[in-house]
Amino acid sequence: MHFHKFEKIWLTFGIGALVLFLVILGYGAFYLGTHPQSHGLTIDPQNVEAHEAFKPENLGLTKVDEDRYIVNVVASAFNYDFGVDKEGNAVKHIEIPKGATVLFQVVTPDVIHGFNIAGTNVNMMVEPGYISSMEVEMNQPGEYTLLCNEYCGIGHHMMYTTVEVYE
Amino acid sequence: MKQHGKTHTNVDKEPNLKGTLISVGVLGLFIIISWVAVFAIFLSR
Repeated sequence: MHFHKFEKIWLTFGIGALVLFLVILGYGAFYLGTHPQSHGLTIDPQNVEAHEAFKPENLGLTKVDEDRYIVNVVASAFNYDFGVDKEGNAVKHIEIPKGATVLFQVVTPDVIHGFNIAGTNVNMMVEPGYISSMEVEMNQPGEYTLLCNEYCGIGHHMMYTTVEVYE
Repeated sequence: MKQHGKTHTNVDKEPNLKGTLISVGVLGLFIIISWVAVFAIFLSR
């Protein structure tokens, strides 16, 4: 078979790029352990409270170690449930120190919601029946909006809250 | 004995693919630059 010399150039380049991206994908998946935010961890959507992390008293921000936090959230139409504060009022704002490693764990009892902290890499779908989780380092101080970016119904646009990363 | 035209029938004229190479190169560069830019945003956040 005869190839033009230019064809050899772009075929080599194209096949090389394909191989390179497959290697990167394999490295991320098998060596670094990267996975989708919801990767088969299931939960009964009718009874999310049965899971230790989503009992009402365990919702919201919890400090587990120096600079390590867990945020457990139940997302439902049209609210993010972070639990209640000492006075019994619903938590609508969370504050995380700069540089902290935060594990977000989110479930929903009703429909598909989004969980996006705008301007950060925190962005995941929350599907009924699955636990979505993602660990990030919050390195840039500021006030961020946490919002739902999957249309979930009539009140979708009101489904947001704020996350502050302080120095 | 001369074999008229034999060399002409066996060797096809190569098409000129210079323009194609340049357009493929431009497209490839665009894809690479966009990928690197998006990856840089991901890393910086």
